[in-house]
Amino acid sequence: MSASTGGGDDDDDSPDLVCQLDCVQGMVDALSSVRWKRHQDAVIELSEHGIVLIVEESGCLQAKVYLKRELFISYNYSAEGRPRFGLSLGLLVDCLNIFSAPGNTSVIEIQYPGPDMQLLLKSVGSPDSCLYAEIRTRIPDTISWDYHFEQAGNIPLTFTVKSAILKEAIDDLDWPGSSIQIILQPDPPMVTFRGEGHGDLQIEFPYYANTDLLIAFQCDHHISSRYKYKFLRATTSNFPSCVLKENRSSKVTIGRGGMLKIQHLVSVAKPATLNHYADAQPSRIAYIEFFVKPEEGESHSYD
Amino acid sequence: MKFKAFFTQDGMNLLDKRFLPALEKMGRFCHVYLTPDHAMFLHGVFPEGGDGPQCVAQFGRDLLFRDYRISSQSDNRIAFTAEVSLLHRALHSALTIHMQSHSDPNAAIQIKLVKKLPVGAQAPSPYLSFETKGPHAAVVQDVPISKPLSRADVLQLQSVLDSAQELPQTLVQVPDLSQLQSLVDRLKNVGDVLAVSITQYGDLHLKVSTSLVTVGSEFQKLRVLGIHVDPPAGYANLSASTRTQMAVQRGEALSVQVSMKHLAKSLQCNLAKPDCTFYGIAPEGACLTVIFQYFIPGTRLTDKAISFYCRLPVLDQGSG
Repeated sequence: MSASTGGGDDDDDSPDLVCQLDCVQGMVDALSSVRWKRHQDAVIELSEHGIVLIVEESGCLQAKVYLKRELFISYNYSAEGRPRFGLSLGLLVDCLNIFSAPGNTSVIEIQYPGPDMQLLLKSVGSPDSCLYAEIRTRIPDTISWDYHFEQAGNIPLTFTVKSAILKEAIDDLDWPGSSIQIILQPDPPMVTFRGEGHGDLQIEFPYYANTDLLIAFQCDHHISSRYKYKFLRATTSNFPSCVLKENRSSKVTIGRGGMLKIQHLVSVAKPATLNHYADAQPSRIAYIEFFVKPEEGESHSYD
Repeated sequence: MKFKAFFTQDGMNLLDKRFLPALEKMGRFCHVYLTPDHAMFLHGVFPEGGDGPQCVAQFGRDLLFRDYRISSQSDNRIAFTAEVSLLHRALHSALTIHMQSHSDPNAAIQIKLVKKLPVGAQAPSPYLSFETKGPHAAVVQDVPISKPLSRADVLQLQSVLDSAQELPQTLVQVPDLSQLQSLVDRLKNVGDVLAVSITQYGDLHLKVSTSLVTVGSEFQKLRVLGIHVDPPAGYANLSASTRTQMAVQRGEALSVQVSMKHLAKSLQCNLAKPDCTFYGIAPEGACLTVIFQYFIPGTRLTDKAISFYCRLPVLDQGSG
């Protein structure tokens, strides 16, 4: 079973989308960063702007991968509206991994829908060999909860930190075995992660003290929220190696009601094209967003 | 029953650096089968009826040994099982010692069948003994082996080998075995059963299908040994699946299903560094045959002293 909510009549047999990508590994990296379990269902939404993949768990954790059309060598979109369909994230990543095996042509073509509403992948460019995949799609069960993230006060409560450092802090917070409290305070300007379980652990990132820690910080009032560790962990557990190698940064924002938003950047470019101007080429970046709901009644704001 | 020989330099290198590492990946134990003309290492061949891949590495005796002496009541054939890693370890160790005495023209590694009484045992046990004379000492390593096969079992083993001599009618050469190995390693994540189709046009098509996904890889215009025909007009414009189906219907292709695990295991034979690898489907889809070819060093002539092949059982009779 599969779905296209794009509407329109079907007299035109051309697929909704045919696009080509020259860096499959980058796409694998971007999608793997939101793969915190072996088997996860995902919803894919197509538009003229690009492809968005959404995964969620328990109504408390949602992740989105934005693959803008500029990432692709070609992007031919002819659907009306925005087709949405469901598929297995793990299968999609495993299939893409096959295309990124050494010796394979590095350009793949993605087409939706196939004759039976599948997502079609095929290698291009090699006349005497080809690799192809047909992934069954399904009608998404429900519309994903689409939380309109709103800022918590007059200004956004946000900080930017090196992704590697954020990951390390979250990995260390496994030790107390409890939910994790995140506190932002303006005076002194600081971010605190705290876990109190069998043992207490508190990790502080003071602003100004070390610009290698907090690259940016914005907060006009004290706020604290508590999050389940496993959901927090999912936001950094599958960083691709390129995020750490390229010394990327992650932006963390606490919104109204304590909703946590964590944004990462993943390169979708061949290693040969990467240089210290990589950030100046936004089209070669995939944007990853995680939304984590706070535990019930555990978000507090102090003016 | 007697067996004694000295390794040649080529023999030691072939076994130590290529074939024993590959055979170790095929399974823990193998049969060693010695005849007046050949030495063979066999996996999964005997007893018959196993459901795993078969692997046969056969060497002309003069390639591996000199001063080769063998006698037995089974027409001077001897067969036994041995643990491959122990064989490899013993040979590698003997080779290391041997390398230290390379200036000594009498230095050599001798291999022979012996019977020794292990500590605490009541009766002697058979061993394959590796004897090396180094510059300062002689080193003997005894690798335990099974009781040699009876005459009846040796005859049956030979019969099994003889019956497996029929070659597929069409064989296609895989251009890059490492690439195929990498592909199969990733296909393993998708499914357990692989459909393999080989056409007389020189196409090799691998496909794994589950209820949720189909992944396929097709190699075209491969070098063909055996029956080779030109594809029909318009063939190139079709999809890989359609091409294969059409070729099977025309009787110009065979298709079988094999275990992904078995194929991945057979690809470990890449450790033996063959010069060429061919895939073929035995008549009536009896098995998938993989033949590894070696050239005489410095030439493109087949070295007939080495015969190395695998036979993978099919899970389904397939079509054709």
